Amino acid sequence: MTAAIDYDAFREEVRDFAMMRCPPEIRAVVATYRKLSRKVWYPWQKILFEHGWGAPGWPKEHGGTGWNLKQRHIFDEVMAECDCPPQYHHGLRHLGPVIIEFGSDEQKQRFLPGILSGQDWWCQGYSEPGAGSDLASLRTAARREGDEYVVEGQKTWTSHAQESDWMYTLVRTSKEAKKQQGISLLLIKLDSPGISIRPIRTIDGWHHVNEVFLDNVRVPVANRVGEEGQGWTYGKFLLERERLGGANVAPMLKNLERTRALLAQELAAPRHALKRSTLEERLLMAEAELRGAQALGQEAIAATMEGRSLGLLPSVLKLSTSVTSQHVAEIALDAVGERLAPRFRPTDAAGANAEAPGIEWVQNYMYGRVRTIYGGSSEVQKNVIAKQLFGI
Amino acid sequence: MPFTAKPIIGGDAFEQACSIGLAADTELAQIADATEQAACLRRHWDAIAELGWITTAIPEEAGGAGGELSDLAALVGGAGRGGLPLPIVAACGVLPHLLAGHPAVVAPLAEGRFRIALIPTEAARDDEADALRFADGRLTGAVVGIETPPDPTHAVVVVEDALLLVAVDTPGVAITRYQRIDGRPSADWRFTGIGADTLARGEAVARRAAEARDLGALLTCVECVSAAGALLEQTIDYLLNRVQFGVPLATHQALRHRVAEMYVEYENLRGLVSHALRTTAAGGPEAWRDIAFAKLRLGEAGRFIAQSTIQCHGGMGMTEGLQAIRLARRIMMAEFEYGDRSVQAQRLLVAAA
Repeated sequence: MTAAIDYDAFREEVRDFAMMRCPPEIRAVVATYRKLSRKVWYPWQKILFEHGWGAPGWPKEHGGTGWNLKQRHIFDEVMAECDCPPQYHHGLRHLGPVIIEFGSDEQKQRFLPGILSGQDWWCQGYSEPGAGSDLASLRTAARREGDEYVVEGQKTWTSHAQESDWMYTLVRTSKEAKKQQGISLLLIKLDSPGISIRPIRTIDGWHHVNEVFLDNVRVPVANRVGEEGQGWTYGKFLLERERLGGANVAPMLKNLERTRALLAQELAAPRHALKRSTLEERLLMAEAELRGAQALGQEAIAATMEGRSLGLLPSVLKLSTSVTSQHVAEIALDAVGERLAPRFRPTDAAGANAEAPGIEWVQNYMYGRVRTIYGGSSEVQKNVIAKQLFGI
Repeated sequence: MPFTAKPIIGGDAFEQACSIGLAADTELAQIADATEQAACLRRHWDAIAELGWITTAIPEEAGGAGGELSDLAALVGGAGRGGLPLPIVAACGVLPHLLAGHPAVVAPLAEGRFRIALIPTEAARDDEADALRFADGRLTGAVVGIETPPDPTHAVVVVEDALLLVAVDTPGVAITRYQRIDGRPSADWRFTGIGADTLARGEAVARRAAEARDLGALLTCVECVSAAGALLEQTIDYLLNRVQFGVPLATHQALRHRVAEMYVEYENLRGLVSHALRTTAAGGPEAWRDIAFAKLRLGEAGRFIAQSTIQCHGGMGMTEGLQAIRLARRIMMAEFEYGDRSVQAQRLLVAAA
């Protein structure tokens, strides 16, 4: 038996650490909605790693913190409250746990340290042009040649591919009657010959997703995680671990507070009085919804810790928080839109996109539309909920 | 197995309140005559007073059952699910809180001898000139749409810094009775310079009245979450059984998605109300904020669920014949009790400024 955990003291410890050790220039990036990149994430991950907090969600023997679910939730909450970058790296959050669960000892030794320290950066090669919500329809194929696979195909929506070292990739290793079978999980180095990466221009003006083309890319068989043909199981394991993702409402509440400050600053003039009060009221409605979601998030964490089933909670949280955070972004857009939406891209210089001060509010609104699309679209979630509610 | 709602606080009190509520609602729905309806409500009122419901939260030293907030929540939750068209929140929660320390009123309230309507300081009026005034021991003014028990014997009035007790048969008191959209009794009250018993005066009255009002808002939320759970069940049941063009309506994605949206709203509201119930029970200084957010959300979510229920029932949704539709009207009425959305929004905005 372990001693009772003092969660308040833990929260204070995390907060002190975040405020003292997270560099102000990194916090400023988060606080102003600028796009997070490896340049921002890596130094912070290094600081966390050196403090022993590199992997809150991993078991202790692999360099994790050994925290329970509630502590991890508190950690994520405090990170958001203090404007620290969310520790949402693909390696740490997604691949690491799969390697720990299904990888060989050699793979653990080879890959986990780089993920922990932030030295190696990973991206996820799942979606394809013909396999979105219906991921199991993926067609990128790997054929075996000696102790190598030869991979041919195309991935899309690959976040951070442009700044990653590796891509963990679902590929088809055989054609079976059931499309979930015959899929394998390969770890592919992105500087391998035959790989080309092309940015996708998204509506928010940020570069975060890419198309990745694989043209006869040779991958050692040693880079296959687990059994051949079992990739779907590993992919699902990874998604199951993310089912509690929606329980952390703290970043959205933080955005809401930022938006409230924006309204006060942007609409201070008396001529904006009606607009300001209308937007403030809309924001309050959004806050009520987020607080409802926060309460459900706490229920979800309690249920998981007590080993009870989560039922429909993950779908409910995903559905409601995605829409509410879109509402918040919309309120901010309504505050600055007249001034900033017309200045989305400069055309008089070959400069970067979106450089007008405050343009991040417009970008964030545009970006926010994805929240009801990715991770199981709202329509998919509603199908899941209805099936359960109706029993058919 | 189709969806079954889980009570926020279950147990015997919940089950009893639910079955009494259902019985009263069903009986009432079969009576067309207004006088007979009133008599039916009165019978049920006397029965629940006899069962000791009103004593639930009254301290033992004042002759009550000494129950806690969770006991009240179980009771109003059950009544909400059953659709009991009587002012349980006011009688069992709000009035005992407001009247604490006044045994001469609390005892007959608990026994059912006093059937008291609560007239708060912010009660609605048709005309600003009717605003309640209390001077030289005389009460003047008029209020409208006051929820009342059947055949009210008294009104408890909060006006300025005074807490008053007024007997209905006092000369100068005129009441006009109505039925609200949720079938509950209500009345307009006019006071023409009447003499009233002053129960208390001073700052403490306003403070106590504000607390009582928040308790009313919270319990109303609990009641409506419970009603909303029943609405979901009944809507799902209707869609599963209603066949058109050879298929159950439940096979259509448009309707399935509407029900999924109802469920998301229901869960979000339930989470918020459960949270407010916990913080209020713990007595935190910020509990009022959680109640305000919960009541604000009830306005949005409750109305969406009520309207969706009507929509999903098609033509049947426009009739008074189905319990689901009566419950939907109950939720619609709740918006106007203990502070509507704009009232709650305003106090939250003022606090945030």
